[in-house]
Amino acid sequence: MEFLNPTTAPKPCLPRTHFLKAPLLHCPFKLTTFSPHTSQIHRRSFRQPPLSLSVTTTCGLKTPQDSKKSKNESNNITKQIILSEGGPPPLVEKSGDAAGGEEAPVKSGGGTGVMGLVKRLPRRVLSVLSYLPLAIGEMFAIAGLMALGTFIDQGEAPDFYFDKYPESNPVLGIFTWRWVLTLGFDHMFTSPIFLSLLALLGASLMACTYTTQIPLVKVARRWNFMQSSEAIHKLGFSDSLPRASVQDLGVVLMGAGYEVFLKGPSLYAFKGLAGRFAPIGVHLAMLLIMVGGTLSASGSFKGTVMVPQGLNFVIGDVMRPIGFLSTPTESFNTEVHVNKFYMNYYDSGEVSQFYTDLSLLDLDGKEVLRKTISVNNPLRYGGITIYQTDWSISALQVLKDNEGPFNLAMAPLKINGDKKLYGSFLPIGDVNAPNVKGISMLARDLQSIVLYDQEGKFAGVRRPSSKLPIEIDGNKIVIVDAIGSSGLDLKTDPGVPVVYAGFGALMLTTCISFLSHSQIWALQDGTAVIVGGKTNRAKGEFPEEMNRLLDRVPELVNSSLSRQSDNTVG
Amino acid sequence: MIFSTLEHILTHISFSIVSIVITIHLIILLVDEIVGLDDSSEKGMIATFFCITGLLVTRWMYLRHLPLSDLYESLIFLSWSFSIIHIIPYFKKHKNHLSAITAPSAIFTQGFATSGLLTEMHQSAILVPALQSHWLMMHVSMMVLSYAALLCGSLLSLALLVITFRKFIRIFSKSNNLENESVYFSEIQYVNERNNVLRNTSFISSQNYYRYQLIQQLDRWSYRIISLGFILLTVGILSGAVWANEAWGSYWNWDPKETWAFITWTIFAIYLHIRTNKNFESVNSAIVASMGFLIIWICYFGVNLLGIGLHSYGSFTLTSN
Repeated sequence: MEFLNPTTAPKPCLPRTHFLKAPLLHCPFKLTTFSPHTSQIHRRSFRQPPLSLSVTTTCGLKTPQDSKKSKNESNNITKQIILSEGGPPPLVEKSGDAAGGEEAPVKSGGGTGVMGLVKRLPRRVLSVLSYLPLAIGEMFAIAGLMALGTFIDQGEAPDFYFDKYPESNPVLGIFTWRWVLTLGFDHMFTSPIFLSLLALLGASLMACTYTTQIPLVKVARRWNFMQSSEAIHKLGFSDSLPRASVQDLGVVLMGAGYEVFLKGPSLYAFKGLAGRFAPIGVHLAMLLIMVGGTLSASGSFKGTVMVPQGLNFVIGDVMRPIGFLSTPTESFNTEVHVNKFYMNYYDSGEVSQFYTDLSLLDLDGKEVLRKTISVNNPLRYGGITIYQTDWSISALQVLKDNEGPFNLAMAPLKINGDKKLYGSFLPIGDVNAPNVKGISMLARDLQSIVLYDQEGKFAGVRRPSSKLPIEIDGNKIVIVDAIGSSGLDLKTDPGVPVVYAGFGALMLTTCISFLSHSQIWALQDGTAVIVGGKTNRAKGEFPEEMNRLLDRVPELVNSSLSRQSDNTVG
Repeated sequence: MIFSTLEHILTHISFSIVSIVITIHLIILLVDEIVGLDDSSEKGMIATFFCITGLLVTRWMYLRHLPLSDLYESLIFLSWSFSIIHIIPYFKKHKNHLSAITAPSAIFTQGFATSGLLTEMHQSAILVPALQSHWLMMHVSMMVLSYAALLCGSLLSLALLVITFRKFIRIFSKSNNLENESVYFSEIQYVNERNNVLRNTSFISSQNYYRYQLIQQLDRWSYRIISLGFILLTVGILSGAVWANEAWGSYWNWDPKETWAFITWTIFAIYLHIRTNKNFESVNSAIVASMGFLIIWICYFGVNLLGIGLHSYGSFTLTSN
């Protein structure tokens, strides 16, 4: 059985080192987990307590002692720790960008006086930031502000808020426009309060990752082999198998996907270590998204333009910078030509999709790219993205008594979301007369035009494509074409790749976080095997899984048992 | 025509089966445990599951796009999600308290979807330009599934709170709403369990112990299902962000629906963080989860009800136009 070979068990660290490391990092959570004093209590809370829930209170009482002790020790220990950190595990390097840099001087700092105070300050800040209730408070505050931001109308003129939150009739007795405007709640998601809270949360994320999560993983990797049956009995789940061998248990556990380490009579097995790593990844992914968001906010360009079919515009003319880092690129000189704008319709007459056929022309007027864009299908060129977002009708081409065609400009009469109405007017008779009369034409889309005569009475409906003439007040009108305008949104956003990387990492690590990190210890005690285990997520299923696994461990008859125990020793 | 008839039939079958299942639950409460009835209620839920699946598939074939484009369809999908959450543990032979939550939730959503309130929405067939994307399936299905899982988890947490503060609640129990209703069913489960205990051991003092055990189980299950819902919510929000970057021009627009989805995410992130600290009792996390319950409903209905923002597709609004 090579796979149970004790030499595979990594037991590189002295138990002393990780106990000593705890005080240096100075995080309140970790202390309760690490120092031997509390680790007992901590384990007890995993056990199903008989009838009381008082475990937490004792835990709270112990903490001050530990922190006092850790303060006393921290000065003597600093140098030792640098030595023990000679070859840090790869994880620390991975998190180096998060908090490693600012923490480096603190480690060497053992000085006294003002300098010592200054050097100890970052550590104090770090411990405050990684305090979980603070982080929870930040999240609550952010959630509350966001909720408020959806209740207060955003981005209106100050007059709007004077009317809506008057001082004479304050909301909830105190809330008036003064609050809204002073605190910047009229633009909540860019207000200094909101942004600084986000930044604070980011800092907390970094601090917590550095001081709490990474040490937890280190412990999870080191913690192996329990030598006493009492320790095993204190675990969340424990059982003893009479007449069994620890090696059979090892084989069963391996079959269930556990990594098994065996040394003498004791066994250690774990599964789902990735579940311990993943929360770090979640935090780093969140930070990555925040960085990407900052990059987007400081370095992007946005532009909106309404172009009639057949006309051109230069990208650089419509783009306006969003942040202080926005710098135009080479491709801003590109000219965009709208070849065609058209819509597709369902049988019921409703619009199914908007299309714009675009050509991109470089400085020499040469076409570099041609694409038909639609909603959900933007054009991307040189870091610029062009979206189809809006439309309107710019003109009607009309033949009057076979003269023309005339281009009649269409004016928006009602623009209310998707229900638009455009109108135009064809004067008849003396154009310079004081009250000129003529034919009115109305259109809701490019499909059909409704015509009214001089009296304002309904005359008929024509489709631009039909070429069918209509006779109104003695004039023969043919509607040749309805020319649409395409509403385009343009943007450049340097943050997108970073944000997408963060999205991918976040999805992946959140899924992995669902995995339970289960640990199992076992000890051969004479003919019996004492088994104990604990897990960090699936606490409901774990005992069931364990019972199922332990049922599979074969029961030994006496003769073979002696042989088995020989093997164990040898 | 044949499709709409089939759809009609399936809607009614699934609704009546769920009502029967709930009646069976009530009978089990009144008369002591009858094994046959218990089993038949499980069978009933499976039948419901297949009916709703059939309903969705019919609608899919008939409309030629995934039936997730308006409120009615998403409600049907929500009750489908509840029923799938209900039957997965059944097939894995896990006995748990989820069924007490999922069955009533399924009937409420199904009942609401088929009620007169939304009748004019049943026929809506066209897909507006912005929804014509492959992301529709990914984003909406993930969001609705996550709502279902998170609602289940937060209802379990509510049940935990109710059992913890039972005496306190009894005074206020006259105000009857959706929450109390669902909690009521979990109490049935609890009473059942206690009855068994009394018969087997006749230890009256053991009541407290079993109550503690029940609380612990509720706690664990709600944690598990909320973690699952949280993953789905993360995937849903992120796929929505990627879609928004294709359709609206930016991956995050602070649109009200987006913002509320993010608030929901934050609240459940808080829940998960409270769980990591052993100094907080399970009651604290349960309070946060029950806050999450309200917030999910605001996110799912409230935002559309106000008709603000870019997400106002296929929903009814209070401000009629």
